[in-house]
Amino acid sequence: MTATLTAARNGQASPGTAALTATQTAVVAAEGVRTRLGGRWVHDGVSFAVPRGQVAALIGGSGTGKTVLLRELTGLERPIEGRVRLFGQDLAGLSPAALNDLRRRFGLLFQDGALFSNLSVAENVAAPIVEQIRLPADLLCEVVNLKLSLAGLPLEAAHRRPSELSGGMRKRAALARALALEPELLFLDEPTAGLDPIGGREFDRTLRILADSLGLTVLLTTHDLDTLYDLVDRVIVLHEGKVIADGTVAEVARAAHPWIRSYFSTRQ
Amino acid sequence: MTAPPHSDGYCRLETGATGAVLRLTGHWRLANLPALHAELSGIALEPGQPLTVDGSALASLDSAAANRLLTQLGALGYAFDRLRLVGFGPREMGLLRLVAERRAACTLPPLTRRGLRRMVGWHVFRLGRATVSTLAFLGQTAQALAQLITRPGLLRTRELAVQLEMVGLRAVPIIVMMNWLIGVVFAYLLGIQVQKFGANIFVVDGVGLAITRELAPLITAVLVAGRSGAAFTAHLGAMKVNQEIDAIAVMGLSPWQVLVLPRILALALMLPLLTAVADVAGILGAALVADWHLGVTPTTFFDRLQERLPLNTVVFGLVKTPVFALAIALIACHKGFAVQRDARSVGLATTATVVHSIVAVILIDAAFAVAYPEIK
Ligand SMILES: Nc1ncnc2c1ncn2[C@@H]1O[C@H](COP(=O)(O)OP(=O)(O)OP(=O)(O)O)[C@@H](O)[C@H]1O
Ligand SMILES: [Mg+2]
Repeated sequence: MTATLTAARNGQASPGTAALTATQTAVVAAEGVRTRLGGRWVHDGVSFAVPRGQVAALIGGSGTGKTVLLRELTGLERPIEGRVRLFGQDLAGLSPAALNDLRRRFGLLFQDGALFSNLSVAENVAAPIVEQIRLPADLLCEVVNLKLSLAGLPLEAAHRRPSELSGGMRKRAALARALALEPELLFLDEPTAGLDPIGGREFDRTLRILADSLGLTVLLTTHDLDTLYDLVDRVIVLHEGKVIADGTVAEVARAAHPWIRSYFSTRQ
Repeated sequence: MTAPPHSDGYCRLETGATGAVLRLTGHWRLANLPALHAELSGIALEPGQPLTVDGSALASLDSAAANRLLTQLGALGYAFDRLRLVGFGPREMGLLRLVAERRAACTLPPLTRRGLRRMVGWHVFRLGRATVSTLAFLGQTAQALAQLITRPGLLRTRELAVQLEMVGLRAVPIIVMMNWLIGVVFAYLLGIQVQKFGANIFVVDGVGLAITRELAPLITAVLVAGRSGAAFTAHLGAMKVNQEIDAIAVMGLSPWQVLVLPRILALALMLPLLTAVADVAGILGAALVADWHLGVTPTTFFDRLQERLPLNTVVFGLVKTPVFALAIALIACHKGFAVQRDARSVGLATTATVVHSIVAVILIDAAFAVAYPEIK
């Protein structure tokens, strides 16, 4: 009994799941997503699936629809065609209540943080928790401090307002808030943009440790080549509305597509 | 293994041959944190003996629960490296190690209760700061205005045109409607009184005086304060939050020239015009009631109006309006610029603008009434 429990906990497939398709067992999956915005097709049949425990990166030029795709994957917007599945459930078929239950299982780090500007950093992190669970003040404070230090934010920043933080600290505070409800899945929109190179690498390292030890599945977008090499198990390349490459960093870096060639040749 | 784990508990302390063993069972998750806390606080341990933590029956473990466990054991004198951990999967071990390394003490900020002295001091300080910032804003505005007068080329005509439309043209329907309605109501109520004396025609004198001297200027200014004043503050405040005002300054432009002066000028030009429109709308409303209700035909009404309403009174009503406009625009722009970089303060500033500018309008109106009390 102990053995099966441990196996299930460590995310190994139990017998019987073999019959299900890859997109149904995946934590996040897009199937033929098409999106039209501002009079053009931003996504024209985007498909991929991220299995449990993987750290995957979406890359692509500015304006290729990475942020829009994350918004669709988190149910903030709907694709015109195609399906989006989270934890095997099709978002289109969910009632608002079921969608909200699903949303408690993942965290989202917005491109610009989206911290509540009238709350302190600690209150920002506490906000999702107090909505879900009644905790006495000392336990809540303990949890909030843990999340802040997991995200690598110095605790003296906890009582400041977001507007009093630097860009990098805001990113970390937003990460702490995204981690608040112990998510199984994390969406990160350009987590290291606007951080200094040292801070960026440290952020990557923090994320890697968190992903490994919390068993997180992570889908992030990035423009940062270092993040790809340091952190990511898998790269999905978006170009002109389609996925043009999908694989490990080494595999993708060898691809022949001219955009990928020039992207990877920016670093020798 | 010994006895099966307790079905509803989360941990059980056993004393074995090699010291104490803490067996963890069930879901160690954030959602169960209060119960976990209660159970953990119940454990009593001899500080000296070695402790084994057995995670083999754990169903799940997350960082908040791991943190609670390690904090509690730490308080009992067991640092992380003194624990013997058995039965944990590799992921849980990683999690425990990460939490042990990142764990931090709880630092609730001391609750500072403000005593009376501190409260008074705080308010005085705030009042002083507000006064200084108001004076600075007025000074900057005056300086910008002086610059504009010496160099008229600085005028931002496009922004001015946009504001003239927003403040003036788009306000016409609501101003006409409200003042027409006030004219109707006022003529109706006054009509009931003058009918008692059979002096129906006097409704014209009363209506003409009240509408042109007080009602139309006040109603219009209050509507504009609520409409355009709030819009100025919300717009400038959102720009401040977005650092757009800083961006303007960095481009070598003066935010006062680009944002404040066009708004002040637009309001100062448009409020008199809107008030004139309001005069007409109010009087038309009154004429309608006089015709229906009092039997004063429109011809009689307007003949009488021309005879009894001196131009002075109308001009007096219009002369105050640029002063109202100045007060509204200055208050609104100042509040917009004073917004802090958070969303809530935009709402607070907008509310303050509406309240302060309506109060200012009424005070200015009272000052005019005291200064020129004679009614011809
Ligand atoms: N609300 C909207 N209305 C119209 N077009 C939009 C809207 N939101 C996004 N777009 C367009 O969709 C495209 C994708 O935008 P998106 O923000 O997803 O890009 P991105 O890949 O995240 O870029 P970046 O790397 O610069 O963040 C862009 O061309 C953008 O102009
Ligand atoms: Mg983006």
